[in-house]
Order: sequence, then C-alpha cells, then structure tokens
Amino acid sequence: MAEQQAILPDDASLMRGQSSPSRMPDKYPLGAMLLCVVLVCAASAATLSNMSVQLPAARWPDALANPDVEDIRQVLVHYAFLPRLAVSLLCGAALGLAGAVLQQVLRNPLASPETVGVSAGAYLALALATLLAPSLLAHGREWVALAGAFTALAAVLALSWHKGLSPLSVVLAGLVVSLYAGAIGAALVVLRHEWLASLFLWGAGSLGQQDWSATLWLLPRLGGAALAIGLMVRPLTLLGLDDEGARSLGVPLGVYRFAGLAAAVALIAFVVAAVGVIGFVGLAAATLARIGGARRLGQQLVMAPLIGAALLWAADQGVQVATGPQGDLLPTGAMTALLGAPLLLWLLPRLALGTEAPALTVERLPRTTRPGLVLAAIAGVLLLMLVLALLYAPGPDGWTFASSDQLQPLLSWRLPRVSAALAAGAMLALAGLMMQRLTGNPMASPEVLGISAGAALGMMVALFGLADASRPVQTVAATIGAFAALLVTLAIGRRAAYAPERLLLAGVALTALFDALILVLTATGDPRAMLLLNWLTGSTYGIDAGSALLTSTTAFCLFLATPLFMRWLDMLPLGSAALQSLGVNLKATRLLVLLMVAALTAASTLVVGPLTFIGLMAPHLARRLGLSRALPQAIGAVLAGALIMVCADWIGRTAIFPRQIPAGLVATLIGGPVLMWLLRRR
Amino acid sequence: MNTDHRPRPGEANRPHGLITRRRALALFTLPLAGMVTPPAKAKPLRIVCLDDGLAETLLMLGVTPIAVADRAVWEKWVVEPSLPPEVADIGTILEPNLEFLQQLRPDIILSIPFLDGIRPLLERVAPVTTIGIYTPDGQPYQRAVEATRQLARLVGKESEGEALIAATAAHFSTIKQQLEPLSARPVYVLSFLDPRNVRVYGEKSLFQAVFDRIGIRNAWTGETNYWGFATVGIDGLATSYDARLAYLEPLPEGATGTLTESPVWNAMPFVRNRSIMRLPAVLMFGTLPSARRFARLLARALMAETARG
Repeated sequence: MAEQQAILPDDASLMRGQSSPSRMPDKYPLGAMLLCVVLVCAASAATLSNMSVQLPAARWPDALANPDVEDIRQVLVHYAFLPRLAVSLLCGAALGLAGAVLQQVLRNPLASPETVGVSAGAYLALALATLLAPSLLAHGREWVALAGAFTALAAVLALSWHKGLSPLSVVLAGLVVSLYAGAIGAALVVLRHEWLASLFLWGAGSLGQQDWSATLWLLPRLGGAALAIGLMVRPLTLLGLDDEGARSLGVPLGVYRFAGLAAAVALIAFVVAAVGVIGFVGLAAATLARIGGARRLGQQLVMAPLIGAALLWAADQGVQVATGPQGDLLPTGAMTALLGAPLLLWLLPRLALGTEAPALTVERLPRTTRPGLVLAAIAGVLLLMLVLALLYAPGPDGWTFASSDQLQPLLSWRLPRVSAALAAGAMLALAGLMMQRLTGNPMASPEVLGISAGAALGMMVALFGLADASRPVQTVAATIGAFAALLVTLAIGRRAAYAPERLLLAGVALTALFDALILVLTATGDPRAMLLLNWLTGSTYGIDAGSALLTSTTAFCLFLATPLFMRWLDMLPLGSAALQSLGVNLKATRLLVLLMVAALTAASTLVVGPLTFIGLMAPHLARRLGLSRALPQAIGAVLAGALIMVCADWIGRTAIFPRQIPAGLVATLIGGPVLMWLLRRR
Repeated sequence: MNTDHRPRPGEANRPHGLITRRRALALFTLPLAGMVTPPAKAKPLRIVCLDDGLAETLLMLGVTPIAVADRAVWEKWVVEPSLPPEVADIGTILEPNLEFLQQLRPDIILSIPFLDGIRPLLERVAPVTTIGIYTPDGQPYQRAVEATRQLARLVGKESEGEALIAATAAHFSTIKQQLEPLSARPVYVLSFLDPRNVRVYGEKSLFQAVFDRIGIRNAWTGETNYWGFATVGIDGLATSYDARLAYLEPLPEGATGTLTESPVWNAMPFVRNRSIMRLPAVLMFGTLPSARRFARLLARALMAETARG
C-alpha cells in the first residue's frame, strides 16, 4: 500500500510531464512480479485440474505431442484445450501491452482498449460486416476490425480534441463512442434477432477453440505489432514528457504518437477479430503494472503484457473450473468485464487525474440577441411535429391522415406514446444540460452517470428473478435499480466532494458492469434476454395512458422546480474556485443538482431506455442556436429534446411499418451524427 | 353450461384437471353446440395468432388466422404447413403493431405466457387467450395436446382436433416400428449457432417428446433450460461414442464451411462414423404439426443414413 501511494502521484506527475525518466536508478517492479507469480500459480493449478478432468495425467505426453485420433479426449486436449490456453495467453498479453501503450501515448492512466472505444468500434465493424456484407470478411477479418477500431479512435480523439485530450475527456468520449457502437449493435440484433445468439457468444469474448488456426493467425500479427512497439520504446518514453520538452530533444512527436497509437489499436483489433471483446484486461494489466512498481515505460511494456497474459489465463481457467472444460456458456470476456468494473471503481479514488478546466464559457459560439425568437421557432417546429406524429402514419391502406371516425381509436394508441416520448425527451435534455454545466464537460450526460444502467439492472432482476414480471413490477424494479445506482455513485462521489469527473467515471464503471451482465445473460440464449434488449433499445411500445400520465406529471413537477437551479447553473461553469469566492456551498449545490439529474434520468429512462443521447445532444443544439444563458438554454434544450424524441418515435413507428424501430434507438441513430457535427472543431 | 366457444382470458393458466372435466362436459354439449351458436359457423372467428406453434395447429385444424407475427420467420423456421398468402404480417412477436391490429378487428388474439408483458395492451384490441406450451414443468407434448383441444373447441372443430391428436400418435407408432432396428444408437439433435457452438435439444423439448414416442434415445442427457435446449460447444458432444447427429436448417453463415476443416469436429465419433444427418427446418418451439414433421424428417434421414452406411 505504501509503495502504491508512492507510485501514483509519481504517475500523475509523469502525466503532467514534470519528471524525467532517468531520475531514479532502475528498480525492479517487485509488486508486479509478485502479482505475476501469484496469478501464474493459481492459473497453473486450475489448468492442471482442468486437464486432469479431461484426460488422465499418464496420457498427457501423447496428447501434447501426437494425439491419438481414436481417443476423443486426447483430440480435445490437443485441439481445444491447449489452443484455448495459448489464445488466452496471447490475447491477454496483447491487451496488456496495448493498454500500457495507450496510457503512455495518451498520457492517460485510464486509457485502455475499452475506455477509448477501440474494442467496441472493432466489434461493431465486424458485426456489421457479418450481417450486411459477409463478402468483406473474406478479405480478412482483421481489416474490417482495424477499420472499425480506427474509426472509433478517430471519433474519440475528435470529440476530446478541444479539451486538449485530457484524460477524462478522452475516457468520456470513449465511453460515448462505445455506447453508440453498442446501440447500433443492439439495433442489428433487434432487427435481425434470429442469429442473436451467435453474435452474442462471439461478442462476449468466448475463448473456445477447436484447432490451432486462431493461435497461428494471432501469432505473427500480434508479434509484428509488439515488435514495432519494442522498436519505439525510446521515443515513446519521451512522449511521456510534455510536448515542449520532447520537441526540444528533436523528437518528431506527432509521428511517434501516431505510430504508437496505430500499433496499440492494431493489437486490439486483432484480438477482437479473433475472439471478440475481452473486457478490462488491458486496463487492469496496465494499471496493476504501474501500481506494482513498474515506473519506467520499458518496465511497463514488459510487466503489463505479462500480467495481462496471467490475468486472462487465470480468468479463463477459472471459468472452465466453474463450467467444466471447454465451457462456452460463461464467456470469459464478459467475466473479465464483470471483474474489471469493480477494479475500476476501486482505482478511481486512488488516481491523480487533475481537474477539468471549464469549457463551455471558453468556447466562442454564436450568441443570439433575441433568445425569445429562437425559442419560439423551436416551439413552432415542435408543434408541427406533434401534429404529424399524432395524425399521419401508414395503415393497412397505406399512408393516411387519421380522419374523423378513426381518430379516436388511433389517438388512444398514439397519444400516450407521443406524450411519454415528449416528456422523456424534455427531461433527458434538462438532465443533460445540468450535467454539462455542472461538470464543464461537453461530453457529460445522464447516460454516463450509471443511473440508466441501474434502472436496466433492476429490470433484469425482475425479468430473471421474479416469477411475475408484469409491466408494473418491471417499472418498480427499474426505479429501485435507478436509485440504488444513484446511491452507489453518490457514495463514491462523497469522498471527492461530488467532484463531477469522479462521478462520471463511477458511472462509466457501473455501465460497464451492467453491459457485462447483459452479455452473460444473452449468451446463455435465454429468450427472456430478448425482452430486456427490447426495452434497452428504448421502445415506447408498451406505454399506456397511465404510464404516459405518470411520466408527464413527473416531468411537469420537476420542471416546476427548475427555476430554483438557474442561478447555480449560470455560475457553475465558472469553476470551483470562482464559486467558492462567491460564497456558494459547492458540496451542497452539487448534491442538489445531482439529485435533480437522477430524478429526471430515472423517470425518463423507464420510458425510452438508457441509450438515447438526448441528454448529450439537446443542450448542444440549444447552445449552437445561440442560447447561452442558463434559462434560455434550458428552455431551448427541453424543447429540442422533446422535438427529437417525438420525431424519433414517429420515425420508429412508421419507417418499416408494420414493424417498429424503438424510439430510443432512432434517437441514437439520428443523434450520433448530429452530435459529431455539433462538436466539430472549426 | 359452457356453450360459448370463446375461452375466457386466463383459461390456459388454470390447472390441467379442469380441462379434462370441461372436456367431459363439452362432450355432452357437443350435439347442442351446433344448434345454440350458429353464428360461429356462419361467420368464422377472426383470429390473430402471435405464436407460430399455435398458428400451425390452427392451420392443421383447417382454420386460417387473419394475421401472424413475423411472416419471414415462418418461411424460414417453420416451413410446413405453409402459410396462406392472405395472412397479414403484424410485425415482430415482441411488438405486434397495435394500430394495425385494431384495424384488422380481430375477435380473439392467441398469445403465449412469454408475451404476458404486453397482454394488457392486446386486451384493449380483443379478448386474449394465453396458451403455454413451454413452461417450467417441461411437458411440451402434453401441453400441445391440450392446446390442440382448446383451439379446436375455440373454432368449433373438436372432431378435427381429436383427429389431429390421434393421427399424430398413430404417425409416431408407425415410425416407431420402422425405426425399431435403428433404435440402439442414440441421436443428438441440434441447431448451429456458429461453427463452434450449438443449441442441443434435450429434456423439456418437443423433440425429446418425439424421441420418447418413436423409441429413439436422445444422446444429450444434460441439463436444459425450460425451452428445452442447452447451449454448448461442439466438443461438448463427444460424451457419447456411438451417437448419430442430426442438425437442423437453417444454418448461420459459414457454419458448415469452417466445420469440415476443424480437427475437433473431424475427430468427433459421429463424424468418423459418418453418422451425420442434415434436417430441413422444423419449428423447435412448435406444437403437434412440428412434432410430426420432426418425426417424419428424422425417420427419413435415419433410414437414408443407414442405407448409405
């Protein structure tokens, strides 16, 4: 523990470029080595036990060298068990190495294959190619995975560029990109659910093998990327310095930064192409290597892959102990994510991350002199959209405006959905605005607070744990889940006086934990997983008059309380120092704003699912339209959020009639590109 | 006296004992039924059927539902009996289009317990009858027989219903005799999820019920979920040395291509014995017609396989 405390501030100072790499004499990273030994011992014991379950020890030499095809047990050991072992070692090492390089190049102690969105990008690209253009895969899965991984990384860097690629902004952008990729993946599954199970087994990182081909495929590719990294150790070390220091030494920073990133991304893409997403091994390995005493980059580049390999080896053998040899039912990748999320939560208070500079006030954006006019315009468009959404839709006889005799029955279906979508969109927009003003981070939104994940977790418990999972029961369970998640997040945040960055990262960890659970459940092929997925994608289908009324009333009450927050919301972007000098009780203010955000999020998540991005988009939209002060921006965001959600619901109901696309999903699909456009840097 | 043919919502959820008693009563009222409710004959019930298993039984009874969920799924996963072109598609099973449903003006909606979450919505359109075939007690065949009687009563085709049940049983005993000489070796039945993982059907599945009735042993004796399958890697199928293997269409992209190259697959006892059979699609979550189709296809494949080798 003492050592660890000594290390972390050192890392932080390295991050800010205040230390020189040759300051200390070389000291062995004893902690990391010890950890490796412990993991290897555990993994070896589990491996021996797993192997002896399959084959008596006397036959092992045969099975290793020259398996008897007459004896299926020997064949299984030689062509299934051992390749799986090899793949787990290779993938673990690759992810650990990639994590260490990413952390160094991005100067970010939280960077990892998952937290910068690279794994999700590679996975989505492969899933898209599998379902829509299988011929692309014939040219090599790695190219598809690489394309996806680089696209995701490019998006993450573009989104966090104007925050100077600060650690938190990169990780937040990475999370948003991961969520977005996940939403598209969910759309694929909902629309083509027949092959759901296989896509999920693979996406969940099942390490199962049935020959040595994956091992032989991985070896040269991973080896090449690792060699490239090995050749760059010196320049990569200098990247840890601040830019000016490095430049004065004559290092072409940009070139090496790009080369380092490319090598790390390639490692991740190869692993995803071979076995799917293996959650959190990269982050855990790189972080544990640092904590274990690997100070210099050279040491980290050795220890992180070693720990990664040992971790994944141990995890995979542990899974096989639990499920029997070759068990695929508990995908190892999802299990590591389950273990990794608590690790991230544990790490958070122990990392020196620096604080975020407020950004919203710095950006030079248009400022309108007549906010009333802008607001009236948005309201007008919203009214038009409402008329369209309520009256115009396809029926058995094609597109029609609902006429007199049909109006009543049709409205009885449409009105609850439209009003619930409207209320949910408005609430999410307000929650997003509050989060962004509170954190000074343009990528903040309620989706990343973990509250949505908590609500979904509650649903999951209701669906799988209770015999009677009717809609009211599901709703209650989701509400309990949302507030439980909020309590966890707040408990974590309390230690940091509700510093927004910590809260967001706690939310990230909770969301990751929840994603892993979903993967494990869906991988078992249980049809109830489909119900869950359906809700996750934000369908307004099941909303009746009662729940619509409830949502609208909640929204109305919460909006009534909003004016009380406006003064704070105008002041919060000024930064904590300025606020304290103005005599604001920072801690109480943050807590109140957070409670408000949680209530808004929980009420809307129940209706449109956890993945809409309205909270992210709507405040930006309002800001770009020139609404800069808190109150006009809030009204603008609320109107815009309602507009987007009503529009999404209408498109979802009509685009592929009689089938329906969940409204939350449509909002995500529209919202992603809009967001990229809004946040683009001129 | 229950002469109204429409079952009440929730009927399927009552214990079995009642159904036999009601059946007995129904037998007494059978001669009356035709006289008391002539409109039912004059104007056929407009039935929307959300479950393919129930829909196939309806079709076998000679009744065409006005709409089903996911027609595309039917063509690919059910195949037989074929679905008449006039049957409308009301969207996915989880979210049947309610506006569309209402405009179809159904008299009754047939649903399954899986969809209980949307039942209140469906009830706003028409009375809903929920019939569970796949339930935790794992008796899909018994339940399918009961469902056949219930549906037959609903559409006033009791004799056709009894005929379907009897014909299915008779079909099984014929096949049992044919397969007598082949019954020594057990059989795996599975669907491929990807080249490495399969759904293997066992206890609580419709296919297990068929196995029991045609005198074939299921090679998969492991645990299954309440839909009657377990998800395992193909190497999990090596436990039985003399088993045959039957896999169902449709196959996911590329499952067979990669399989033939895999040493584990090629070392599997059933591959080395060349005891592999490819069966056309059969609805694994079906009712009597699917059970019958499965028995017929399996018998044909088994006999062809024996003739080959």
